[in-house]
Amino acid sequence: MSHFRSTYQHVARDSCFTRLDIRSKLWMICAVTAVALLWQNLVASGLLTLGIILVALWAGIDWRYIRSVLLLSTFFGVTLLFFHGFFPHGGIRQLTRHATLTPLFTFPAHWQLLGGQALYREGLLYGLSVLAKTLSVVLIIPVGIFTTELDNLIVGLVRAGLPYKIAFIFSSTLRFFPLLVARIQTITEAQRLRGLALEKMGLLQKARNYAKITVPLILGVLMRSQMVELTLQARAFSGSSERTQLHDSRLGPGDYLLCACSTLFWGGALIAYFGWGIGKW
Amino acid sequence: MTNPLARLENVSYLYPGAKTPALKNINLEIHSGEFLGLIGPTGAGKSTLCQTLNGSVPQFYGGRFFGQVIVAGLDTVQHPISELAHHVGLVFEDPEMQLVAPSVENEIAFALENLNVPRAEIRTRIPQVLAAVRLSGTEKRHPQELSGGQKQRLAIAAALAMRPALLVLDEPTSQLDPLGAAEVFATLRQLNRELGITILLTGHDAEELAEHADRIALLAGGELVAQGTPQEIYSRVELLAAQQLRPPQVTRTFQLVRQRGVAITQLPTRLAAGKRLLHALPTSCPTVEKEHVAAPDHLGPALLAIKNLTHHYANGTPALHDISLEIRAGEYVLLVGQNGAGKSTLVKHFLNLLTPTAGTVTVDGLDTRQLETSELAQRIGYVGQHPDDQLFTASVEDEVAFALQNLGYAEAEIERRVTVSLRQLGLLAHRTAHPLSLPRGDRARLVIAAVLAMEPEIIILDEPTTGQDYRGAKYILDLSRKLHQQGKTILVITHHLYLMPEYAERVIVLGKGTILLDAPLRRAYHAKELLRRTYLTPPQAVLLAQELAPPEGEGALLRVTPEEVAACFLPGGGR
Repeated sequence: MSHFRSTYQHVARDSCFTRLDIRSKLWMICAVTAVALLWQNLVASGLLTLGIILVALWAGIDWRYIRSVLLLSTFFGVTLLFFHGFFPHGGIRQLTRHATLTPLFTFPAHWQLLGGQALYREGLLYGLSVLAKTLSVVLIIPVGIFTTELDNLIVGLVRAGLPYKIAFIFSSTLRFFPLLVARIQTITEAQRLRGLALEKMGLLQKARNYAKITVPLILGVLMRSQMVELTLQARAFSGSSERTQLHDSRLGPGDYLLCACSTLFWGGALIAYFGWGIGKW
Repeated sequence: MTNPLARLENVSYLYPGAKTPALKNINLEIHSGEFLGLIGPTGAGKSTLCQTLNGSVPQFYGGRFFGQVIVAGLDTVQHPISELAHHVGLVFEDPEMQLVAPSVENEIAFALENLNVPRAEIRTRIPQVLAAVRLSGTEKRHPQELSGGQKQRLAIAAALAMRPALLVLDEPTSQLDPLGAAEVFATLRQLNRELGITILLTGHDAEELAEHADRIALLAGGELVAQGTPQEIYSRVELLAAQQLRPPQVTRTFQLVRQRGVAITQLPTRLAAGKRLLHALPTSCPTVEKEHVAAPDHLGPALLAIKNLTHHYANGTPALHDISLEIRAGEYVLLVGQNGAGKSTLVKHFLNLLTPTAGTVTVDGLDTRQLETSELAQRIGYVGQHPDDQLFTASVEDEVAFALQNLGYAEAEIERRVTVSLRQLGLLAHRTAHPLSLPRGDRARLVIAAVLAMEPEIIILDEPTTGQDYRGAKYILDLSRKLHQQGKTILVITHHLYLMPEYAERVIVLGKGTILLDAPLRRAYHAKELLRRTYLTPPQAVLLAQELAPPEGEGALLRVTPEEVAACFLPGGGR
């Protein structure tokens, strides 16, 4: 369980990020996301992604989590490169201001389906840039969320003006995933205890086995949700924002500093983009 | 006794789709300030009755509800559950399912926040209730990091913090070690006496309920069969037996004494009263009895062996330290220890579910690290603590057939073994039912059936009696004895020491990750102080036996059962 906590929930160690309020971290997420979406230049976008990975590691995000995100993005990346590389849309021409794109190679004309189709340099670069943007957005979120204890997250979100019920649902969703993963592990462990040699199975067999456990998994989750609902009601939960809080949420000097830095970064990026074209294709 | 705080009038209830009512025409008053124990066999309707008090039945489940339940002047059908929560705190049977917050302190604070309790007051109550349930110092921990017993205590603490007028606890101590259960009872009693909180508690802890409850209500088949003081209810041993329930061991002991012709006007239901009566009656233990020590030649070679085993969890927490032991083929071993002592961690090494940090674990001479869990599972049948974690198919028969299909048996053989296994566990009539639709006791038996179908030579039962009533627990243990007689090696983990003298031969006492004692059962049960060090208390029969004159001579019988203690009372005496 502890592995899943450190991987999917709260970071295992303290850092300056764990001491900050979720509101300032949300502001940072918004600023970084805005810049990531603004920049089209591959080098700028790539550097931003790399910077975010380093910040995430510094903040204590488990390398295994980052690695899983990178691995999962591989499929997405290949798809992006394929489509933008072979089938560059008009937007890429507009962006590069080139009437004709640079073909890297062309399939022989006599090939079926792909015959005559070229792979374009600009399309590939655009695909890589989109991938970098996506990774930046995906990886900056855990820097804010995973460095915040869930109870502080709820309090911070409520202080930020979110209705308590929504904040509670959000935090429950974050809690739900490690429980789901733990439940899958428990079921597979029970299967191994009944002689199922998962370690000797091929990928397809494993996938079939995981498909089989979907129903008990969903049933288990439904039973648990029902029980949780019962428990919440028995603990006087009504979803009303009219409630006290054990923890307070106050913005400190560090929070104001982060907000200022985020704003400066965002503002600076805008000025540099429109003033000197930094970040443009 | 004062005015009733809660009143059930002609209450009957059917769950949606049910043909028979879970509750039948119940009339019961719960008085302000009383401690009411609710007992009954599995399926008697205890949990349903508990949930009528906070409105979950029928508001949450639906179904057909007749009659009226009034709590603190509120009709539980007319007022929402969240409003009734101001007056009724409910602790459910399974703590795993009722922990909702990301930290221990938040778990306790959650309901208080909902009730608009000021922050300063919340901060005052958190350490109070944590101390009451022996969880001080865990404030910042994630509830999922706690052991089963600790989770149970946390759920109780969360309910205690609300200081409701009525605190309803549905089998809250079923997963606790005996001393943990005793402490919870003592805490509840203190809250009851000092804060005037009315308590309704269901459970199978006859000894504790006799000690602490003001009144006992006996439910069976959804009907209220009897109610009265613990003395009135627990001394009606025949009535309890008819409902497959058991009285406290002290009552059982003196009932046997009475059957020996000793005149006893009132059967004691509390240990202190039993000890007083014991000293007032003439006793003389037969001197011819000797401890039965199993001849070593009925045991085979070492089947399970652990050498210098140390285990640390992934986060570095030490769980086991330098443990060495051997279990020989044909042994019946009882593994005991407080919650979190490392019992489950130890046995999981036999199946390579956990890898030693240091040391070796071998099964029949083979290092478990060289074997896969699926291979080991063919030789070692492991039944874990939580049955629901081990059920993953769509029908009872599929559950049992799963392992057999993995082992490559032919269809006809699978069918034969499924039938035999289900019949053995009394589940044949449910073979097409969905596993999760069965009652908890049956679900636990289904897991055992699924494991037994593989015909393993070693069977490990991890807390098999948790959540079972007396009949269910005996059923499982009788089956384990039958398997033992067939030559299987049995290892049982349980807190219910009173159940085990008939079954186990050897006891391993684990405490804080080390072996405190490894001895024949009788000697282990009489090591009172050592057991106390790992939060265990011997059964009442052992404590009574220790009040008798010490046995003479080496190998003299150390008495552990009511029958053996009763044999020391001389016929003709009386009081």
